[in-house]
Amino acid sequence: MFRFLLGFSLLALPLMTNLSAQVIKGLVSDSKGQPIPFVNVVSKGSGSGTQTDLNGIFQLNLSDSSAATLEFSAIGFKRQSLPISGSEFLKVTLQEDVQRLSEYQMVGYGTSSRKEMTAASSQVEGEDLTKLNVSRMDQALQGQMAGVTVTTNSGSPGGSSSIRIRGLSTFGDNDPLILVDGVVYDSEGLNALNPSDIESVQVLKDASAGIYGVRAANGVILVTTKQGKKGAPMRISYDGYAGIQQTARQLNLLNAQEYAVIKNEMFAMGGQPLPFNNTNVGVGTPWQDSVFSTAPIQSHQLGIQGGSEKSTYSMGLGYFSQDGIVGGNKSHFSRYNGRLNFSHVLSKRVRFNSVLLFSSEFRRTLPENGIGSVLYNTINAFPTAPVRLPDGRFSYLEEVNDIINPIAQIQNQYNGVQTMKWVGKEEVEIDILKGLTFTNRFNFNYASLQNKVFSPLVWYGPGKFANTAINEQLESPMVAIADSFMVERGAAVYEENTSFLDLSYEGFLNYETTIAEHHKLKGLLGFSLFERKGESLSGIAYGIPNNSLEFADISANTAAGGFLNNTFSWEFTERLLSYFGRVEYAYKEKYMVSALLRRDGSSKFGPNNRYGWFPTIAGAWVISDEAFYSSSFIDYLKLRSSVGLSGNDQIPNFAYRALLNGEGVYVFDDVITSGVAIGTAANPDLKWESTLQMNVGVDLSLFNTLQLALDVYEKRTSNLLFQPDVSALIGSYGPGGFPPVINAGDVLNRGFELELAYQTPVRSPFQFSGKYTFGMVHNEVLSVPVGIDYLPGAAFGVGGDVATRFQVGQPIGYFFGFETNGVFQTQDQIDNAPQQDGAQPGDLIFVDQNGDGVINFNDDSDKAFLGSPIPDFTMGLMLNAGFKGFDLSLNLYAAVGQEAIRNYERQQPFANQLDYVIDRWVGPGSTNEHPRLTTEPTRNAIFSSYFVEDASFLRVRNIQLGYSFPAKWLSKLKIQGIRIYGSVNNAFTFTAYKGFDPEFSSASILSAGVDNGFYPQARSFMGGVQLKF
Amino acid sequence: MVFILKPVPLWVEFNLNFNPMKTVFRIAALLCLTLSFSSCDDFLEVNPPYAQDAENYFRTPEDYQRALVGAYDLLQSSFLSVWIGEIASDNTIAGGESFNDTQGLHQIDGMQHGAVNTELRNVFRWNYAGIGRVNFIMENKDNIDFPGKAQLLAEARFLRAFYYFELTKFFGDVPLIVDERLGIEEAAQRPRAAQSDVYAQIVADLQASIPDLSTIASQKGRVTKAAAQALLGKAYLYQNKYSDALPVFEEIIQSGQFALHPNYSELWTLVNEQNSETIFSVEYSGLEGGSYGCLVCLEGNAGPGFHGIRQYTGPVYGDGNSYNLPTAELYSAFAPIDPRRNATVLDIEAFIAAQPNPAAITYAIGGGGHTGYYNNKYIKRQGEIGLPDNDLTSPLNYKVIRYADVLLMAAEAHLMTGNKPQAQQYVNQVRSRVQIPGISVNSIDDILKERRLELSCEGHRFFDLVRTGKAADFIPGFVPSKHELFPIPQVEIDLAGGSWMQNPGY
Repeated sequence: MFRFLLGFSLLALPLMTNLSAQVIKGLVSDSKGQPIPFVNVVSKGSGSGTQTDLNGIFQLNLSDSSAATLEFSAIGFKRQSLPISGSEFLKVTLQEDVQRLSEYQMVGYGTSSRKEMTAASSQVEGEDLTKLNVSRMDQALQGQMAGVTVTTNSGSPGGSSSIRIRGLSTFGDNDPLILVDGVVYDSEGLNALNPSDIESVQVLKDASAGIYGVRAANGVILVTTKQGKKGAPMRISYDGYAGIQQTARQLNLLNAQEYAVIKNEMFAMGGQPLPFNNTNVGVGTPWQDSVFSTAPIQSHQLGIQGGSEKSTYSMGLGYFSQDGIVGGNKSHFSRYNGRLNFSHVLSKRVRFNSVLLFSSEFRRTLPENGIGSVLYNTINAFPTAPVRLPDGRFSYLEEVNDIINPIAQIQNQYNGVQTMKWVGKEEVEIDILKGLTFTNRFNFNYASLQNKVFSPLVWYGPGKFANTAINEQLESPMVAIADSFMVERGAAVYEENTSFLDLSYEGFLNYETTIAEHHKLKGLLGFSLFERKGESLSGIAYGIPNNSLEFADISANTAAGGFLNNTFSWEFTERLLSYFGRVEYAYKEKYMVSALLRRDGSSKFGPNNRYGWFPTIAGAWVISDEAFYSSSFIDYLKLRSSVGLSGNDQIPNFAYRALLNGEGVYVFDDVITSGVAIGTAANPDLKWESTLQMNVGVDLSLFNTLQLALDVYEKRTSNLLFQPDVSALIGSYGPGGFPPVINAGDVLNRGFELELAYQTPVRSPFQFSGKYTFGMVHNEVLSVPVGIDYLPGAAFGVGGDVATRFQVGQPIGYFFGFETNGVFQTQDQIDNAPQQDGAQPGDLIFVDQNGDGVINFNDDSDKAFLGSPIPDFTMGLMLNAGFKGFDLSLNLYAAVGQEAIRNYERQQPFANQLDYVIDRWVGPGSTNEHPRLTTEPTRNAIFSSYFVEDASFLRVRNIQLGYSFPAKWLSKLKIQGIRIYGSVNNAFTFTAYKGFDPEFSSASILSAGVDNGFYPQARSFMGGVQLKF
Repeated sequence: MVFILKPVPLWVEFNLNFNPMKTVFRIAALLCLTLSFSSCDDFLEVNPPYAQDAENYFRTPEDYQRALVGAYDLLQSSFLSVWIGEIASDNTIAGGESFNDTQGLHQIDGMQHGAVNTELRNVFRWNYAGIGRVNFIMENKDNIDFPGKAQLLAEARFLRAFYYFELTKFFGDVPLIVDERLGIEEAAQRPRAAQSDVYAQIVADLQASIPDLSTIASQKGRVTKAAAQALLGKAYLYQNKYSDALPVFEEIIQSGQFALHPNYSELWTLVNEQNSETIFSVEYSGLEGGSYGCLVCLEGNAGPGFHGIRQYTGPVYGDGNSYNLPTAELYSAFAPIDPRRNATVLDIEAFIAAQPNPAAITYAIGGGGHTGYYNNKYIKRQGEIGLPDNDLTSPLNYKVIRYADVLLMAAEAHLMTGNKPQAQQYVNQVRSRVQIPGISVNSIDDILKERRLELSCEGHRFFDLVRTGKAADFIPGFVPSKHELFPIPQVEIDLAGGSWMQNPGY
């Protein structure tokens, strides 16, 4: 909000009136003599500080000013230090700095100026995140940083995203390490984090992330929450918006008449009786209109911050609520947030910092993105059937067993997860000697989840797989619990209580000194302890009275004898012990080298391989500072490079040892007798995956307005953690047995990134800034475990072939199947083509990949690479313009070159279809694209390139137009700023993809490209107001 | 230092008294002191809470008993060996919904199987899983002593012998793993052992177990002395060691403990599953059948469910999946007067015609082949319910070795050691149980024929033909010097480091 306040608020702040002995006053202005407001002024000795007012005037009270040095810093200006003596009125001139070289950046257990950074990292300010009006930080990060790819796993309220930093490096968990003020956050837990609480987000992309050791291989995201400023008066702000959401797209499905005509033809071709005597049945039921609805979204955020000489504080309160565009409040997310950041100077040498974040969130979900999900049923429901029959009951869609009425399905969902989270950091910094600081940091993260699911007795129609009742009268099925002893099942309720507690301590020494004026030396030495405990208790109970939500609690169950009721629990502890150190050296801010080393011990691994060393070295050279350098247009040029090792330990606990959780059950005396057996086989030599990463980058500035950062990198991950098939000799294939987790396989990611930023000078009346990001990555599996050809991924259709694979020489999750080459037009053409059993005119032509003259359907010899869910490149473009109180911003994102598998079509005669089938083959020359329609068996529905689509897209993610009222109007109201705006999210998407949303992903990397009827992101129209007091 | 020595209590205390502000300083102060000292390494010694671990198990007799139950569990997977023993022979065809339904069985049926065959891989995997579970016990057999330990270890040895016998019957030379568990590296270095060494291990285990096994099972389903003797004799027979086999079989016969059940057709019903003829059976339950997703996890017998009549509605029988269907040739091998014909093979049309209301009985023909006959020994019958999915399993046990088999094996041993009269006497003892005239026994062909009539649909036929060198005479497509053994699954060769030679001909 700084920028808006800057231009429009002229209200003078009351000067501080502390009457202590030493008072320093001054004026800060830019090179043109214009005063600069909101400049941070800090006394380096005592740590006390203040800010300049709107006239650039500051006044600072010092207890001891005998040898103080004041430091002046402001966004867009070079940092400046000034030794002072006495109390004369200071006049300070700050130099403009578009490159923002002196700004501090997080580097892990310390900071570095942008100029001294050797790492490849990207940063986003909190303002750029909140502007997008989304509930989760990860959604807001999309496109804002080159090399950070964010793809939505679900468009439902509270749905998560996949954050991938520099490609996919492992078979298992590819989530980066997320630290909020140093506290570990899971990417799944990001729902709890309020974007409005974020000051900035920084991503460590290269090997410099290695300071976080065994968990850093997927990159590290450092989130800093908002803090108060020393000596700043109390500021209160309110940000709120409200709006409506709707689906951005409906699929082009057949209407009733088209459906009847197409189905008649299909049955006729199959030699079966026609299902419709009369095809003149109108448009029928537009199921999508019934399923999609307009849903509300709202957010209210209150912030208070300020600071005295010794303390700073920042508080936030937030409320967010969103219903889904599918299912209304059956698909819901709401959240309350509280935050308190507090810092206090305890004594001359000791400082205390505290962060406390609280959140309470509630989420309801519908079955989504799977076979049997609401949208899958919506797509396949017959337009000739009504939603409800005249007597009021839902239609049964009886002709296809696996398709149920989606409206009835929505109505029968009753679930909710309530999550509470307390996250905190308590930190004491002690200055031991000049330049030597000791930081004690204690972090906690407590999360508690309460989940409840009510499963009523439901009847979707005869033979439906989802029925829980045995008939339309909703009678309960009987369950045998012993020979000839049956009990009634009834409605069921499931309840779960799960909690996680992370505790960690970090202690580290930072040393910083400058020797002989030009030699700057920084050192870090520290250690940390981390423990995570999780426990869960859950139960399921049957016989809920009256089949009613009113009694949906375990306490109300009436299960006979409790025989069917069951309880479950689990518990785990994991720990990490780490030592780390870093040395940085800079000569004249021109040559920089840094080296870091971390030793991690993880309880996830056995004594054989419990400890790992993670080294990184990096260097940078500011070429433009050299005497020989002269360039009229590149005014800043810096070369960076780093190489280092980091790890990944994301596997289940105790995977290195064999637990007796297999199944060992036999029958003695006709009684089932339980024994024990080893579950997952042991692998005492199990260790972490290691990623060796090399990065070379250039930072440059053109004409002092345009900044460019280029990076190329290569990441090689080896010793991948897998649980692949192993030799039978290990004995893992009994009941409940699983093969051991092993280290095998290598993955390569090689890429190029570009970030380009432009900003008009800070003081110009017309403000314009823009940022463009570009990232491309080449992903390739280099090896898989010995004896394995590939690892299978997701299946196509229902019980169909495996369509995605993890295989050497290919990107992770690539598509593998038959390649098509048009449609057979004539029998003659079939006779002259490679032998394709069963082919008739109108069938898809498959390509004979191995050239043996036969299309082999029983093996893989004629299958080929059909696509990959990984984009060739992604781009983001952020534009902001401001003039006389008006501001306009635009956020675009594009992902290009990825493919998707259309897997939401049920291959059943009566299932509805997309209207492309109207262009089906009907005779020679009719089409070479879409095959004939028939109910007789053909191979047109096996997995082939016919079902693979280009999923490239360009999306206008956000358009926002705002107006800030002139300050002179507001000063009478004692208000510092009012801004109102209108905003549209997900305004336009340009794509050739047929599905609901080309941007979809899955937490499971091998399912990432398979679209089962994805819950699309909503298009939302919002209006908001921002107030500052 | 306090923290280093006792890390856990401090954390526990902290968890209970959750008071950040106060405790931060205390912990921080303590930890500051430790910074200069090394070795917080005990901090990482985390044990799985409330979970039993393979490395510190076997502390009580019950621990051994429970591990033994786990080792028994894999017996229930032998339904697959039984299928293959019949489908590979001239007795039955694979059947099922289509030729793609359990494709591996169809390939075996046509003697077209290769090294990529899911069913053969399952046989390989499941039996090694059983061996692994026995080895887990044997590896820890000396931890403690307790009454009954000898019997327990003897049962374990029997099970290991059983699983190795299955493996060597199918695959010939197989890797030997005894009293140890292998890691990935070790598994990749273990060569195939010669079949003679595998048999030596089987014989050693059985000989060691016989003295310690009780004559009468303490529970139905437990291994007995006679079970081990019968398996030992059978193992000798498969090696053509007739003179070794003879005394073992004679000991069982002379014990007088067993007698042929008077009514042959009643042998196959649930109510008679335990009878005077039982020497060793695999036990199943009707209460926890499981699902199609994990056949090795079943506690019910998948045989009857799969063999059952497809989409059948009518009396006596239940709905099934029309697998493992007897051929017309098998049906006609029986003399019409032999009651074993109808007890072994169900002629579905004849059966329906004999019912009071034939028109009301319906069934479907599977696309995987139809002969008009069903396996009537292990078939889904009404009242033999396998929950929760009744067309998948049945509680009916599988008779691994019954007394009639022992008599016929003894007859074979006598014949091959020159005692024809005794051989003939045993064969005719089996025939007289079903009240049909005796025959004269002059050659192994007579024994084989009688074994077929008595034991078909029980999983022996293919192996009987192979071990007597007669398979090529009876099985269409059987290639001598190739099909005597099944191929080692290619993927297992790859996973074991790729150094094993494939069986000849594949």
